[in-house]
Amino acid sequence: MAVITISREPGAFGEEIAARLAGKLGFMLVDKSRLVDYWSEVDPDAASIKNDDEWIPLDDLDIDSETEATVRLLPELIVQLAEDHDLVVIGRGAQGLFRNCPGTLHVKIVASRQFRVRNIQSNEEMSSREARRWTRDLENQRFRYLRFLYHLNWADPNLYDLTLQMNRLSIDQALNLICCAVDEMQIQQVQRSQIIENIVSESEEDRENDHFVHFSEEEFARFLEFYGIPFSYEPDSFPLETNAEGKVVEAFTPDFYLPEQDLYIELTTMKQSLVTRKNRKVRKLRKLYPEINIRIFYQRDFYRLMAKYGLLAPESETADHEPKKEEL
Amino acid sequence: MNELDRDIVRVLFDSEAIEKRVSEMGKEISEAYKGVVPILVGVLKGCIMFMSDLIKHIKIPLKMDFIAVSSYHGTQPTSGAVRIVKDLDHVIEGRELLVIEGIVDTGMTVGYILRNLQARQPKSIRLCTFLDKPARRIVNVPIDFCGYKIPDRFVVGYGLDFLQLYRNLPYVGILKDQVTGLEKT
Repeated sequence: MAVITISREPGAFGEEIAARLAGKLGFMLVDKSRLVDYWSEVDPDAASIKNDDEWIPLDDLDIDSETEATVRLLPELIVQLAEDHDLVVIGRGAQGLFRNCPGTLHVKIVASRQFRVRNIQSNEEMSSREARRWTRDLENQRFRYLRFLYHLNWADPNLYDLTLQMNRLSIDQALNLICCAVDEMQIQQVQRSQIIENIVSESEEDRENDHFVHFSEEEFARFLEFYGIPFSYEPDSFPLETNAEGKVVEAFTPDFYLPEQDLYIELTTMKQSLVTRKNRKVRKLRKLYPEINIRIFYQRDFYRLMAKYGLLAPESETADHEPKKEEL
Repeated sequence: MNELDRDIVRVLFDSEAIEKRVSEMGKEISEAYKGVVPILVGVLKGCIMFMSDLIKHIKIPLKMDFIAVSSYHGTQPTSGAVRIVKDLDHVIEGRELLVIEGIVDTGMTVGYILRNLQARQPKSIRLCTFLDKPARRIVNVPIDFCGYKIPDRFVVGYGLDFLQLYRNLPYVGILKDQVTGLEKT
């Protein structure tokens, strides 16, 4: 008995993979239309699920009661379905709902932004600009949805057992890899009741950190979280140089991506005199990918940011004038 | 020279320059809002000196309101999330808003405020800031009225603080690194 969750970046073929996987394994596919049908069976008089069921307003506090009811209803419906069926669940925060449950496999389907924008352009007949915006909006919605329901960061790699990068895989190959993982992890040997019993309540749980390489990255992430700015940590790598066989020999992976700003941020806490190599890489990146918006935060920028909030002030200063929670 | 002045390494804008620029901004705003009654929303506490000077130079009818949000204090494992600690008194649906800031730096705070106000469906929102520090921008916010663009230096005075101090300086000055702790970095 098993539940497979498929989380997907827009345009990375997540929907196609989920549908074909469900068919191949004989599992029930849980997507928007399945949930709508099931909900109308359970309660024919109830209001229908909103069209945009993974939608959360920009500010959680602005969520209206109807939307909140739908958002909170969906996990219940999915759990009810899991009581009687093996499932492939596409999106809907299922990686959060079933996190750490035995008998589950959490798959994330990703692809480079360029690749995804191209797919969306051809499938939806959009201009490149429209496709980029559409992609960004959808990413933001999904970030907010998971954060609202489970206080989790969609980009946290610890939420997933398997991440598939679709630039280099066909849908068939992706399906085979997922099936291999299903076999290897023996998730179908688990009793169905064990899956349901282990579902973590939607209340806040202790979450491990995102395994940031440096304290400055962790502090910066905390800062972004404080202001409710969606971000992903090291989500994309950009090849800078390939050898004669086409193998990537130099690449650059910016530390953060802020989808709402469509902005990559590279933090460096090396001294100014030591950042030449990094500067060279960023110049190369800008030349090869002119559409990429990237900013470097040097050591001095990071410290200035910290200083602004009084986090570097000498002990005596902070002791005398430490701002209280309500100070502005 | 008093004890606050001693912590300042350089004066960027003295009170005379401030007075002149604020007066010009008042004229620009009066022109832009001719025929309507805007609500000026001051973002506490950095806006206080600027807003009180600015309104003297706006020659059209206006209403005033204030908003304040909690500030980041870092270092704790979970520092929570930004929240409104003083909300508007006015209902702003359908109204023309002009948000008044002392300084736009990373854009995080004002970005949050603009998103929050936008959700209340005003007819329009524009942003007016006395100082703009574009070098540090993370969240892009459209600035409609700007006093001065400044370099990436730690500035205080004319309502702007460091650890709640220096707001009462009548000028904008660059704070010494020994005070902010930057000299040790």
